[in-house]
Amino acid sequence: MSAPTAAGQRRPLTRPHFVPPDVRAAIADFLAFEASLLDDRRYQEWVDLVTDDFVYLVPTPRTPDSPFRPHWDERSMLIDESKWSLSAQWFRRFDEDIYEMAWAENPPVRFRHLVTNIKAVALTDEKLEVRSNVALIGTRQSDLPKYITGERTDTLVRHDRQLFLARRWVTLDQVLIDFPQLRIML
Amino acid sequence: MTTVDATEVAVRRERWSDDELLELELKNIFARCWQYLAHESEVPEPGDYVLRKMGRDSVIVTRDENAELKVLLNTCRHRGVPLCRADSGNTSHFRCSYHGWTYANTGELRGVTYQRDVYGKDGINKAELSLVSPAKVDTVFGLVFATWDPQAPSLPDYLGDIVWYLQAVFDKYPDGLEVVGTPVRNIIRTNWKTEGENLSGDGYHTTITHASAFPLGLFATEKDLVKLSDEVAPKFTGRTVVTPQGHSMRVQRLPLVLEGNHYFGYPKELWDVFDSRLSPAQQQLMSAMSVGHGSVFPNMSFIENFKTNVDGPDLHARYVRITVRYPINATTSEQLWFVLCPRGVDPDWARLSRLGYLRTNGPSGLFEIDDTENFVGISEAGVGQQSRSLPVVLEGGRDHPATPATVGWPGEVVDGDRTERTIRSFHRRWDELMAPMYDEGSR
Repeated sequence: MSAPTAAGQRRPLTRPHFVPPDVRAAIADFLAFEASLLDDRRYQEWVDLVTDDFVYLVPTPRTPDSPFRPHWDERSMLIDESKWSLSAQWFRRFDEDIYEMAWAENPPVRFRHLVTNIKAVALTDEKLEVRSNVALIGTRQSDLPKYITGERTDTLVRHDRQLFLARRWVTLDQVLIDFPQLRIML
Repeated sequence: MTTVDATEVAVRRERWSDDELLELELKNIFARCWQYLAHESEVPEPGDYVLRKMGRDSVIVTRDENAELKVLLNTCRHRGVPLCRADSGNTSHFRCSYHGWTYANTGELRGVTYQRDVYGKDGINKAELSLVSPAKVDTVFGLVFATWDPQAPSLPDYLGDIVWYLQAVFDKYPDGLEVVGTPVRNIIRTNWKTEGENLSGDGYHTTITHASAFPLGLFATEKDLVKLSDEVAPKFTGRTVVTPQGHSMRVQRLPLVLEGNHYFGYPKELWDVFDSRLSPAQQQLMSAMSVGHGSVFPNMSFIENFKTNVDGPDLHARYVRITVRYPINATTSEQLWFVLCPRGVDPDWARLSRLGYLRTNGPSGLFEIDDTENFVGISEAGVGQQSRSLPVVLEGGRDHPATPATVGWPGEVVDGDRTERTIRSFHRRWDELMAPMYDEGSR
């Protein structure tokens, strides 16, 4: 979310010009498919859905001293990854030659993404800004499930009639984060 | 003074799982020891504050209008409501949301609402109702510490020989270090001691727990080392340092034959500055260091780390991190993560440093999540009726030879870092502090 504006700075509501239903449906399908690849740990296939300059960013959540300031701090990130770092480091740990030594991911935490409230606006003919709410549920071994919620702001681009993820920015609601582990694809 | 290694240390696993023990730790350790709270760079201006904990007590770390550091117990003297609910901010006063009592950021009670009506025409003695502050607050190299114990030694005496090492890590930069942004805070399902024990100097776990880092290129291997020096030595070497106060450090050196000092991972313009700010023995500590980490008793740890290929081939990074743990219960803790950056450094270097941190020793870093799985396991497996009374093995490293005194490193230093001596040192100090209340044999 963007931080609310202070009193005296109120603006009249402007309704966003959302994309038409067929485009929205394609975006919803894309996000559901993408989430299912993450839930199924098909990470090396998931990588094919992102652009070469893709970045995945999660700023540090905080309780600010004013409701008119954001509840995150982007000076310090929790996660700052690129397509290269995800492929070469993050997802590489699930490969057969390494996973037995990737202790925290073996047995893997079971992840379940719930993606809702999808809102898409076209930035250009080929570029979309898509906001959605995400709840990630993580279940480690025999532990009870934990969940974490946030808002995604994704940049999607269209190449050859296919959608690709170019940027993912996720602001978290939880400040004192209680989750099985923090190596999470939100 | 008896040397640390001359003392037998027997530690039962309940130390990581018993809630009654935690209550005793809160009284004997957290109410008495100096504890790390914040870095001065987090509160640079008058009115700046951050919220921290000492044990389970919430404290406000602030700079008053005279720019003096204050630490205030975050609870109204009237009915006990917390005064500060934000993680950080700037204010000259804190006002209670319940009845409106207002305190200056010195801790003095300035305003009592409807005072005459409520407390009579003479009012209430505001001078006796300041916010509670620790008995002592002091800083070293920008690190802010406090203790509740008026009998506590001075901070320099409390830290002892570890000060020399903290200086080498935190005080070698021309314009100092600053904390980058807000610290990440998370709950870890383990006792507050486990991560600090590891960071105190456990060089034994590295190649096993972090085995996955080798194929990922994050540990310097032959391939990287030959690019750093013409001559590669046979193996990594390490030293560990312990002090009677329970503080410790491990230093691992890259296996390179080098002439002169090489502060790998730092911009070249800082190398000369380090040479001028560090003593020759401290230069030897920092030069070619692959990783240095340590723990300040009871709950603060630091690490300075050189990690290779963090953002692509040959993109090596170095970073300084502080972590602290606050107990919630015996098997649950809150951890805070601070990454620090030298002031005024090239922004591209700063970014690479931060990426290196996040991807390895940050809260989402692959080193950390593998470590955490072990720490969680220690507490998980320590709650059983059979397992809780079992001792852990802490004999490791007893044969490591003393480092020659000519090297000039203070404290009790040995050559060798696959060891448990730093953990023994922690628990020897723990035993001393807990002795009046805790007799393992009688439980």
